[in-house]
Amino acid sequence: MTISRRDLMKTGLAAGTAISMPSVMRAQAASTASRMVRMVMSGSGDLRVFDPIFTTATITANHGLAIYDTLFALDSKLRPQPQMVEKWSVSDDKKAYTFELRNGLGWHDGTPVTAADCVASIRRWGQVSPGGKLIMARAKDISKKDDKTFTLELKEPLGLLIDILASLSYPLPFVMREKDASRPPTEQVTANIGSGPFKFNEALAKPGASITYDRNEKYVPRSEPPDGFAGGKNVNIDRVIWENIANQQTAFAALRAGEVDFVESLPADLYSAVESDPNLALQVVYKMGWVNFLRMNCLQKPFDNVKARQAMLHLIDQEAFLRIASPDPKYGNTVTSMFGDDTLYSNGENTGWYKKGGDPEKAKQLFKEGGYSGEKLVILQPTNLPAYSNASQFLAGALRKIGINAELAPSDWGDIVTRRTNKGPVEDGGWSIFLTGVPNVALGDPIGAPWLTANGDKGFFGWPKNDEYEALRAKWADVETLAERQALARKMQRVWWDFVGTVLLGKVDSPSARRKALTGLIEMPSLLAMWNMQKV
Amino acid sequence: MAVYMLWRLLSTIAVIAMVGVFIFLLLRLSPGDPAAIIAGDTATPQMISGIREQLGLNNSLPVQFLHWALGILGGDLGVSIFTRRPVLQLISQRLEPTICLSILTMIFSVLTGVAFGMLAAWRVGGLVDRALAAFAALGFSVPVFVVGYFLVYWFAISARWLPVQGYQPIDHGLGPWFMHLILPTLTLSFPYIAYIGRITRASMLEVLSEDYMRTAAAKGASPYSMLFHHALKNAGVPILTVIGISFAYLVSGVVITETVFNISGVGRLVVDAISNRDYPIIQGVLILASGLYALINLAVDLAYTLIDPRIRY
Repeated sequence: MTISRRDLMKTGLAAGTAISMPSVMRAQAASTASRMVRMVMSGSGDLRVFDPIFTTATITANHGLAIYDTLFALDSKLRPQPQMVEKWSVSDDKKAYTFELRNGLGWHDGTPVTAADCVASIRRWGQVSPGGKLIMARAKDISKKDDKTFTLELKEPLGLLIDILASLSYPLPFVMREKDASRPPTEQVTANIGSGPFKFNEALAKPGASITYDRNEKYVPRSEPPDGFAGGKNVNIDRVIWENIANQQTAFAALRAGEVDFVESLPADLYSAVESDPNLALQVVYKMGWVNFLRMNCLQKPFDNVKARQAMLHLIDQEAFLRIASPDPKYGNTVTSMFGDDTLYSNGENTGWYKKGGDPEKAKQLFKEGGYSGEKLVILQPTNLPAYSNASQFLAGALRKIGINAELAPSDWGDIVTRRTNKGPVEDGGWSIFLTGVPNVALGDPIGAPWLTANGDKGFFGWPKNDEYEALRAKWADVETLAERQALARKMQRVWWDFVGTVLLGKVDSPSARRKALTGLIEMPSLLAMWNMQKV
Repeated sequence: MAVYMLWRLLSTIAVIAMVGVFIFLLLRLSPGDPAAIIAGDTATPQMISGIREQLGLNNSLPVQFLHWALGILGGDLGVSIFTRRPVLQLISQRLEPTICLSILTMIFSVLTGVAFGMLAAWRVGGLVDRALAAFAALGFSVPVFVVGYFLVYWFAISARWLPVQGYQPIDHGLGPWFMHLILPTLTLSFPYIAYIGRITRASMLEVLSEDYMRTAAAKGASPYSMLFHHALKNAGVPILTVIGISFAYLVSGVVITETVFNISGVGRLVVDAISNRDYPIIQGVLILASGLYALINLAVDLAYTLIDPRIRY
């Protein structure tokens, strides 16, 4: 076989083209890349439910923040500020509120936002949100006055009303179209038509794979500069794509290769790899962090006895649990207040139980005083959530060390959220302990946070009951000043740590990873704002 | 032949019906409540029970089954509990990447595996044979995801020749489509090349020792003619069986490869649906998969008649 010069040239050209193909593709992609941000919401999960009132899932709340708007929003100092509302007033007797919407508000389908939409949205949200339920219980009437104005009349004053309307407790009071908000809250709204700064791109939506948001060109931001979730929601990019990359190694590799711009959450062992890459940076976007805690089934042995619950309080070595959840001490710290770490109501009342390293001997003694006699204690272990799974194993070991018959019940989180509804004994498929976590900021809201209730079997899983605490909690909505609420918080905490509604495992500030070219991320608790960010 | 095919098609329908009943019961009897998952981590029991009622999950099992079965008979696989989108739409969105990956993997595995196996059998104990033995040992023992990570590191992160992850549909251009599938195909092909290569080698060795092969050699047949016309055709039935089985087993490998390379295919759809207890999606995918499995078996059985004229139905 002979090779001609022409053959050689053809082969060379073909090989050259093939080798340069990746660079050509990258160059073509780069022209549009600066106006598009690809994000991996690995911490919040995959967006499957689109109605932020129908579910309390964080990812759906993030979706809501992108496409819907709220009447009020929290600024960076967590103070409520008007967002859709232009101005509002309250009567002298503090029973009648009047809200006027600002100009330029419009739905993504082109129709204007009206007061009727707001009234219907408050009514729907008021059926499911703890804060909303309080408003509805106090409300005498909510009605529209004209297209831009609506009133909310109360039977008795509710000093916290504006705070509740701006609260970050799920579900958030997003404003929907009247026809969507007229559905029962147990029926999902799937229209995805909001009035927020981003539009949901239905044609490109692939649930489980990727979700695309486009800039709402007709959105009129407030004139104030952006401040937390308040102020002007200025969008500097044309498109945001949430890529659902299930594998965290793949997400990290995609970030390094520049295929995505932001990864919401990465395993702690990859932090150093991010820090050593000159194109990447770690940033704690979710300000104030995340508090992990455990709930005990207060209806069944051994935790139906308060001594056993107090024993858990003494047993827990928060530093050890923090090393499991966040090995880098820079991203976590202990927390002793039931109102979280560094919230407006955090305090040191009745926290004498805290001891560095825990106090296993005291715990053992309290279990004994509580009449513990070797009954099986079942810890629900979520095997698909590594941090909680490892912490569950560590907890089981700590309990066994002091002679408690602790057993792990491994399953995925989907099974745990079902099993934790079982109030029965462990022999009938019940449980004794499960671990979970919530945004730190949510612990500062005893009205909106179900895990800060102690109303027995009507409350959150674990069902602690304490009438004295509930009587104090009932006063929360009516206390007028911050100083008075802080004083009330101290009283509530004094009782809370006596009957032990939860046991805290520490606060974690998980950083997100981003390419340095992506800037302007707003640092706020709980949720991710997609406005203000830009790619340079 | 026509009667045989009709009989096989009828038995396929019976298999699909049995799979349907089995899957329905298995899902309903296994732990997990989609309403609790939908409602979110901080939902109150009242929210969860309201959603259960709304989704009809409080209905009796026979009522739920009847509702679903009637839908299937009408060509409706139902609606996803979570996204409220038709299951058929969700599956069709995910079908292209899985089909493309599977077909490319099978083509590459068969071409490479059969070629390796033939060469190894032709020169037993030679370099190719020993290389195949070593490759087969690796192919059977190294998990697919490990191969995937290595390939990503070398070709995507270090060399930056290929993308790390994702999928580009064919209608976005043949180039991007192919580039995104090279690494997943190589990864997924790894064990199949080893498997098909070893089976081909064993079958060919058996055939090459037959009297008629010696006769062909004595008659002066060329190595090409001996290998392809005489040996491969006679060794074809076991190889074809293995290819058919491999295609069916590909489903499990696809799930892992789709996860490692972030390809939004059917494999990931069903895995996500299982963790969310999204019953209609799981049922829909498994019904279609069981039908596909039965059809692959039928196609393999029919293909036997093409390579072995002694086989008649």
